[in-house]
Amino acid sequence: MIPRNVRRALAGFSWPIYVLLYTPLALVAWYSFAPAPHTQGLSVYAYGVMLHDHSVFAALRRSLILAIGSAIISTVLGVLLGYGLSRFRTPGAKGVLANMPSLIIYTPIIMPSLVFGISELIFFNFVHRFTGLLGAGLGTMMIAHITFQVPYVTLTVFARLAGLDQNLFDAAHDLYANGLKSFWHLIVPVVQPAIIGGFLLGITLSIDDFTISFFTAGPGSVTLPIYIYGAIARKGVTPEINAIGTLMIGAVILLAVLHFIITRHRARGAELAAKGTI
Amino acid sequence: MSSTLAIAGTEAQTGARGAISLSGITRIFAGTIPAVDHIDLEIKAGEFFTLLGPSGCGKTTLLRMIAGFETPDEGRILISGREMQSVPAHERPVNTVFQSYALFPHLDVEQNIGFGLRMRGVKSAERKQRVDAIMEMMQIGAFAKRKAAQLSGGQRQRVALARALVNEPEVVLLDEPLSALDAKLRAELQIELLRMQKRLGMTFIFVTHDQHEALVMSDRMAVMSKGRIQQIGPVLDVYERPRNVFVAEFLGLSNIWQITPISDHEAETPLGRLTISEMLPAARMAMIRPEKIWLYSEDAAPYGRPNQFFGIIREAIYMGAATQYRVEVGENKFVLAYDTNNQAAERSWRPGEKIVVELKPENIMLIEP
Repeated sequence: MIPRNVRRALAGFSWPIYVLLYTPLALVAWYSFAPAPHTQGLSVYAYGVMLHDHSVFAALRRSLILAIGSAIISTVLGVLLGYGLSRFRTPGAKGVLANMPSLIIYTPIIMPSLVFGISELIFFNFVHRFTGLLGAGLGTMMIAHITFQVPYVTLTVFARLAGLDQNLFDAAHDLYANGLKSFWHLIVPVVQPAIIGGFLLGITLSIDDFTISFFTAGPGSVTLPIYIYGAIARKGVTPEINAIGTLMIGAVILLAVLHFIITRHRARGAELAAKGTI
Repeated sequence: MSSTLAIAGTEAQTGARGAISLSGITRIFAGTIPAVDHIDLEIKAGEFFTLLGPSGCGKTTLLRMIAGFETPDEGRILISGREMQSVPAHERPVNTVFQSYALFPHLDVEQNIGFGLRMRGVKSAERKQRVDAIMEMMQIGAFAKRKAAQLSGGQRQRVALARALVNEPEVVLLDEPLSALDAKLRAELQIELLRMQKRLGMTFIFVTHDQHEALVMSDRMAVMSKGRIQQIGPVLDVYERPRNVFVAEFLGLSNIWQITPISDHEAETPLGRLTISEMLPAARMAMIRPEKIWLYSEDAAPYGRPNQFFGIIREAIYMGAATQYRVEVGENKFVLAYDTNNQAAERSWRPGEKIVVELKPENIMLIEP
């Protein structure tokens, strides 16, 4: 049991952290309600400007296409890869050799995104020079985003599968499920939370990413983070930028609340099932 | 002509539904000694057969090869007379009950039991009927809608068994299915499992490291050690007439002595000279089970018979139905004896009491080192 005064002190320490976390966000929101030109007081003028700016929506649309597209593809790849890593480990391999696949998988996660972005840029240029393929644009960004998302999904799925009773796979096999059937009827439902989690993580990482996008984007593939960066570089942080920021904060809070409601609902369902029947 | 007939005869026997025939089965894991070393084994249809041995003896590996989870490096497996070499696990007519139960965490009890039928494409109406029937038989219908995580150990065990039996396999493979349960529940389920097997008439192959469990349940058993079968036979034979020291010691307490035969029925042992009913020449070890040793008080002993020794009780361990004694019959020469505490028993002794020990010649067995 932690003494009461220690607990109070700890609670006191948490306040500066909350302040540091949320004050900047609050400031963004506050500045987004800047007065319209030649007026005074709060206004939604910046939101109006933003809503009439087609390039913002074009950037947003590209960001969403990029995020959802890359998250879908990297989820599929990550699930297969995570399954493969957990299922087909080299028998008898020890040390570095046995851990080789997971070491390779970790590389994109620990690599600074600046290095990662530049190396992608060099690679795409290289391929483009000799084949004419992979010209910078949404396509190259998609490839880059998939590349850095796959390890996250893979590791989420791998962790889930590695934590399972390995006899489950034999049991499915024993109960007349061939490889494909056991993948569909055992692996997919069992790793479903990891799949959903990996997919959402992929979307978040993609929308959030600036560095890698910056190096792999082409003239016609300005996404929201690149647009914001460009706008700031030209005109500094304007109320319109703060308006975009505020809307993004709002969207994230909404998602978090939704996620909370869904998981709580599920947890309570399981709890009730357990109580009602035992 | 007669030889072809004999061969046809054996084929018919090993080809019976549920019969298993293993020949020369060997499995070597990368760079180690063989886990399973040239095993030949015939298991009859409808038999409760136990593979007994300490952990690491290869019994589970052998079971997994019959199930199809492991591939033998050498040898043949026939199930109901059919060659299993190229038949994957999901096409074999066997079902397994795992030590960890391996119930699917995302499915409820009913769905777990119906999994095999569903994978085989059994229509949902028939599936429901068969699942309901087995749940009723196993008395688990009350928690049909619960997930595995919401069941007790005994309930999980029943579900795992039902999940195997509902498919009506030719052979049921059980890998230490009771080892995670407490003693009372375990004893209950042993009897239940045995009844179920007799009722359904399926072949059961049961893997355990618990000799008591093996004795209670099996028709026949094979005692394994270091990848090889040490002895195989009906339970009574293996217990009463162990072939070697390993089997004798693994299957219970025993007194074992090195012997030097001096005539057809007499041998020198560390205990003294013993008369033994069996023909002695070339024998190297003798064994007697503690419960086969007779104890008398000095004034009531039937003197004049062979193999009687004076001794002093050094240790008496009371175990309810019986008491286990360590009797010193000479300097640093001990005999382990077991006496029941029923009314027929003369009396029980306390440490320090003087007694007479008798080893009847017909109860002394010759074994290999």
